[in-house]
Amino acid sequence: MALVLLFVTACGGGTGNGGAPTSEATPKAGGTLTYAIESELRTLDPLASTQLVERTVMYQTYESLVTVDPQLNIKPGLATSWTASSDGTTYTFQLKTGVKFHDGTDFNADAVKFNLDRILKAASSPRKSELANLQSVDTQGASTVVLHLKKPDSTLLAQLVDRAGMMLSPAAVQKLGADLGRNPVGAGSGPFKFVEWKRDDHLTLTKNADYYGKKAYLDQIVYKPITNDDARSAGLKTGEFDQIRLAAGKDVASIKADSNLTWKDLPGLAFGGFELNHSKPPFNDKAKAQAVAEAVDRAQVVKNVFFNVSAVSHGPIPPSSWAYDASEKIYDKADPNKAKSIATGFTFTMKVTNTPDNIQEGTLLKDQLAKAGITMNIQPEEFGQLLTEAEAQNFDAALVGWSGRIDPDGNMYSWFHTDGGNNDGKYSNPQVDKALEDARTTTDQAKRKADYDQAQKLLVEDAAYVFINHPVAAQISTNKVHGYVLYPDGMPRFATVWKS
Amino acid sequence: MLTYLGRRLILMLPVAFLVSVVVFALARLAPGDPAVILLGEEHDPTAVAALHHELGLDQPLPVQYLVWAGRATRGDLGRSIQTHQPVLQAIGERLPATLELGLAALLWSLLVAIPLGTVAALRRGTPLDYLASGFTVAGVSIPNFFVGVLLILVMGLALRLFPVGGFVPLNQDPLLNLQHLVLPALTLGTAGAAINMRFTRSSMIEVLGQEYIRTALAKGASWLQVVRDHALKNALIPVVTIVAIQVGSIIEGALVTESVFSWPGVGKLAVDGIFNKDYPVIQGIVLCAALSYLTANLLVDVVYAWLDPRISYR
Repeated sequence: MALVLLFVTACGGGTGNGGAPTSEATPKAGGTLTYAIESELRTLDPLASTQLVERTVMYQTYESLVTVDPQLNIKPGLATSWTASSDGTTYTFQLKTGVKFHDGTDFNADAVKFNLDRILKAASSPRKSELANLQSVDTQGASTVVLHLKKPDSTLLAQLVDRAGMMLSPAAVQKLGADLGRNPVGAGSGPFKFVEWKRDDHLTLTKNADYYGKKAYLDQIVYKPITNDDARSAGLKTGEFDQIRLAAGKDVASIKADSNLTWKDLPGLAFGGFELNHSKPPFNDKAKAQAVAEAVDRAQVVKNVFFNVSAVSHGPIPPSSWAYDASEKIYDKADPNKAKSIATGFTFTMKVTNTPDNIQEGTLLKDQLAKAGITMNIQPEEFGQLLTEAEAQNFDAALVGWSGRIDPDGNMYSWFHTDGGNNDGKYSNPQVDKALEDARTTTDQAKRKADYDQAQKLLVEDAAYVFINHPVAAQISTNKVHGYVLYPDGMPRFATVWKS
Repeated sequence: MLTYLGRRLILMLPVAFLVSVVVFALARLAPGDPAVILLGEEHDPTAVAALHHELGLDQPLPVQYLVWAGRATRGDLGRSIQTHQPVLQAIGERLPATLELGLAALLWSLLVAIPLGTVAALRRGTPLDYLASGFTVAGVSIPNFFVGVLLILVMGLALRLFPVGGFVPLNQDPLLNLQHLVLPALTLGTAGAAINMRFTRSSMIEVLGQEYIRTALAKGASWLQVVRDHALKNALIPVVTIVAIQVGSIIEGALVTESVFSWPGVGKLAVDGIFNKDYPVIQGIVLCAALSYLTANLLVDVVYAWLDPRISYR
């Protein structure tokens, strides 16, 4: 959890133009795109990956069984089609033929089994919980693969879009061994090939000239880890970087105003806000949790902390999701008087990550709650410490967000089901549990939406979590960058991008 | 002289041992679990437990220390928790960048400090002296990260004179390397320049009051000759001490500067290591930094003898 806090600032409600490629001019092949990211990667092995910035590289070099379009509909990837058995426990995938990995070996059913078995065998991989319902994998010939599930799981396909579904060359994985994470030469099948990675300096990808599909325009992509916000924004303005993944809130206005630069955004998948600990005082008293939710002025936070580059949140489902319900607006406007009538005169401590943005947000919330007679103390902590304490239920409230998942289940089950892995606040409501379980076992989207509507209404009303904002996915580049398609998951797909 | 060197080298061992115990303990006293940080948003208790086991963090602390220290004596500082890269290799890869930045910063600080300090001493009490003192106060008081950001905004963004961050290896493109070097070196060297200037000034004033200076002048030597051949050489002895300590602290000073400018050196490695509770990386860097301090101090004593033949060793 909590990744959102690290990149909340790239959020917004500005000039959304997602979906369609952004330029009418004729694409031009060639050139190098320099892309500045806000932190260095840790690994390029999807099995071990935990960071968002790692995915910005993997989405160019690796390909998954299935993918999404900009509206988040599941589309064929390395699998051309799939069928689910009537009881929902067996998925059969037909695979693309003629696909070669960058090391020249063939992509086939054995490769799929090899990659999924890697996840099944791994002890500490974060992928394991993503495919928790996967029992075993069988191959039928060279281009058919069958996934057997322990129980029906309507989130399977969405999980396979990301790292759990990324297919790497078995030959490369075996040859590279422990070096796979740092030097995955030849491991992918995507439109760009990995060349080299000099940590804290640069990471280079080159165009895959033998790509089976539509080839990329760019010759090269160079990733630069630039941790300092000022240096990243300044580098964009001087043209040192063609595109940056993230800008600090304070720099957004000047970037938007610069006629040499492009800013586009659309609602992302994440939610920001704070979790409440329902297992101990004061928030084991539901009225106190509700009073806090009632007193928070979300619009003011979005304006003053996120410089309006974020949407006000009314629940875990972001506006970009098919399960979003625009009519649900519980706790829409702050109402200190109503909050007072529910509960007042109590004190609690909010743990926040010790970054300027988070402390600023905490300070503003403290002010807002004071108007309802609620005293909030701020306790800044290091990110890792905050995570550890949240997991141990050692908190009253914690400003911890969620980076979001393609399937609505990913924004709800682990956070708000009684047994959810991220349910640090020990929120529990049998009706919510049931709705979330039902939504997992049916593939009927209309039924699932009804389940999520019901769960969201209940958990928001209960103040299971105090939702504040939905960050955006943004394109922040110079005007030389064309053809960039924005996806709500915030991942770049540079194959369509070209430079003038 | 050789016996002296040998004795000093042996004395470094207990110091290194103490440093290793302290840094091992400090790294673990800091709150936060490296496995939870590594798994981040996706940490669930089973994955965390499995990772603890893989990393050996489920062993008692004394056992963990002995395993680490035992390997360290054989030159193996372990592998980074975050990247699995051998720590010694990670430090080795980054050392050239850090040394380049550190030496450039030192050079800049001396180029400013020695002439300015000498002139301030010779023109004591004049506006020039006050200006130099003002520079000292500012240089020492303004923190690195602020100087860095200021330089990025003014020299990088407004005047577009230099790149705002990043690194190009010297052997790849020397000119680009130097361009990238300027802002971080100015940032890192400014505080040192201020301190060195102050030391040069006070030491020079003291030396200028000595009788041998008067004697030299009385014998008809020119003012320039006296300053250059008699005063400056003697005045520089305390400056050498402080400069040597600065050499030893190149890694430490680079912590902030390297992070601001995304300079891929040891300092940035250390900062990332601290944030991620990457114990092997933190321990390895602190140990290396401590050894470099000890070595720098040893070298100072040797340089003393060269500067002042009256100093001898037993």
